Amino acid sequence: MINSTPKNDWEWEITAKTKWGMDFKELWYYRHLASSLVRKDFLLNYQQTILGPIWLLLQPLLTLLTYILVFNKLIGVSTGALPPVLFYLSGIVIWNFFHDTFIGTSFIFRENAQIFNKVYFPRLIIPFSQLGTQMFRFAIQFAMLAAMMAYYVIFKDYTLPFNYLTFTLPFVILLVGLTGLAMGLIFSVITAKYRDMVHLVSFGVRLLMFFTPVLYPVDYVPEKVRWIVQFNPLTSFFELFRLALLGEGTTTAWSLGYSVGLSLLLLGCSLLFFNKQGDKLIDVV
Amino acid sequence: MGDVIIQVEELSKAFQLGTIGTGSLSQDINRWWATSVLKKEDPFYSPHSAGKTGSSKNHKTFWALQDLTFDIKQGEVWGIIGNNGAGKSTLLKIISRIVKPTKGVVRGNGKISSLLEVGTGFNQELSGRENIFLSGYILGMTKREIKAKFDEIVDFSGIEKFLDTPVKRYSSGMYVRLAFAVAAHLEPDILIIDEVLAVGDAEFQKKCLGKVKDVSQSEGRTILFVSHSMQAVSNLCDHALWLQKGRLMETGPASTVINNYIKGIRKFQLHHTWDNMVEAPGNEIIRFKSVRLIPQFNDLDSPLDIRVPLTVKFQFWNLGGEQNLSVGLHLFSYGGDCIFDIPSPSVPCQKGLVEGECTIPGNFLNDGSYYMSLIVVKDTSVNLFYYEECLSFEIDDYRGDIKWFGKWMGAVRPTFPFHIGQKELVTQA
Repeated sequence: MINSTPKNDWEWEITAKTKWGMDFKELWYYRHLASSLVRKDFLLNYQQTILGPIWLLLQPLLTLLTYILVFNKLIGVSTGALPPVLFYLSGIVIWNFFHDTFIGTSFIFRENAQIFNKVYFPRLIIPFSQLGTQMFRFAIQFAMLAAMMAYYVIFKDYTLPFNYLTFTLPFVILLVGLTGLAMGLIFSVITAKYRDMVHLVSFGVRLLMFFTPVLYPVDYVPEKVRWIVQFNPLTSFFELFRLALLGEGTTTAWSLGYSVGLSLLLLGCSLLFFNKQGDKLIDVV
Repeated sequence: MGDVIIQVEELSKAFQLGTIGTGSLSQDINRWWATSVLKKEDPFYSPHSAGKTGSSKNHKTFWALQDLTFDIKQGEVWGIIGNNGAGKSTLLKIISRIVKPTKGVVRGNGKISSLLEVGTGFNQELSGRENIFLSGYILGMTKREIKAKFDEIVDFSGIEKFLDTPVKRYSSGMYVRLAFAVAAHLEPDILIIDEVLAVGDAEFQKKCLGKVKDVSQSEGRTILFVSHSMQAVSNLCDHALWLQKGRLMETGPASTVINNYIKGIRKFQLHHTWDNMVEAPGNEIIRFKSVRLIPQFNDLDSPLDIRVPLTVKFQFWNLGGEQNLSVGLHLFSYGGDCIFDIPSPSVPCQKGLVEGECTIPGNFLNDGSYYMSLIVVKDTSVNLFYYEECLSFEIDDYRGDIKWFGKWMGAVRPTFPFHIGQKELVTQA
């Protein structure tokens, strides 16, 4: 360069304020970091274990067994027209996806304080890679669900629905993951600031499960109190998931619109919140 | 040397001591309710002292950096020097975008990579190969860069054989070598280094410094380098920046700044005494009452030179009840190299005042400037309090009838028995 750079023409600038908004170009630059972190999570979870990735399948299977014993046989909760095995397993698999994404992102600042204090990279890379890890795990568990469905089709004469709703599946799954991510992002900031909120996270998510149609169909909830369950944006996603996959589920365009709108709004706000707070939190953690 | 690549303008950074949050949500809501809604005083920082001392006293604000303004041009190698707590690391963290400034602006061009520790992003469980990629990505390398440099990195670290072994099985030396090798192959426009070179064995340190020097000279990269070692700074850097208590003291050619820095901190402290326990340095277990350096002169007019024995006397309050205490004395040269570390015997102490003394014999230390730190240790293993840089002093040269006036080498100049004599005579044929 021959001319010296004019005073106001700099590539980057660091000031006290954090700009709202995100730097997508920078996120893209660090995409390999995200994929490498997903790989790391996977290697770490299954290196030096006896059963390895089988744990991924064992956990939902054992949960399924418990649910069938307790809720179906003992208490006698109806699963509608669906075989209990498929009903519960589909609920467990999609709930696991939401739960693990949420919990996995909730403690990001606490767990990565050491790295965040030593090197700069867009902090959002960590939650995004977390979502990637959980999607991968979901894919494996979903494959098990598909195998179970195939078993029912072949040996039990069970007919699967296949219509235009089937194509909504990927979107429903993505929306569930993004809702988990959005809530996790918000709580990652809160748990970094307030240590006592850690308890709320693990306890709250357990309660949330009972307000989500994992163990029961929405139809089973008395009309009077159904609004409580429907207030939860996950409800219509779960119902649509079952409807598209197994042909049983109740949801309306209205409640679906509400869920999609709310979770996308939540996602937008949480991304901005995380970005804005992230810089300040380093002084605190 | 070309354009300004980093411009720092009126940069300040304040840390709120304990007032950012109380750490618990219920207390924070309580506090917000009291201060913002009811407009009352903060219930968690109650001003017990006089009501009008102002918020600055109750909300302890610590200014780590104050009003720094300077420019760095492309291709320059800058050393950042200053005492502990001068704000060197904070400055690096702000430029690295890890910490936000409180006021002011840093502007710049080009890609920055910072090495604030060795092995950032390394995972103990993963193999060397995986870690090269992971750490490379975290430090901001692209996939193509890492792949292109992979062999070079492995070569530089010398761990080919263990590439697929988890790094937790590495020796610490191997670990450091691999970590540095990744960092050394970064290709940023601006490289920020914080004393990472202080690890590893001497040979490896030499290799690292050599690499940094190569990078700066041949590739025209801008480097910011923090170090306690004046030798390293004067070796590597052409410019230096001297910080003291968060303020910019001087910028300029490295040799000038280093000289002034050494002169500036030569306000020698031969004794400290505190009568008030609250102000004395220490913590809830140990508080120092006094530290003194007493030269054992033969007559009072003689200078403090290398022949004079020095006695260090200190007293401290043991507030921790009955415990076994010992004290370690660490002597450092001004370059920051430790000359020696001597522990006292461990003795049982009751609550109350404890005193001790240690004498450094004459004809032992070389001439030069030194500082000293004291560490109080419980049961010869638990560090109770480290009183850093409690004394500093200078020892003058004395050569007797030696007619050579160059700088005497070495950290110490002991007089060991040394004998030479005529063995036999060459007889004239």
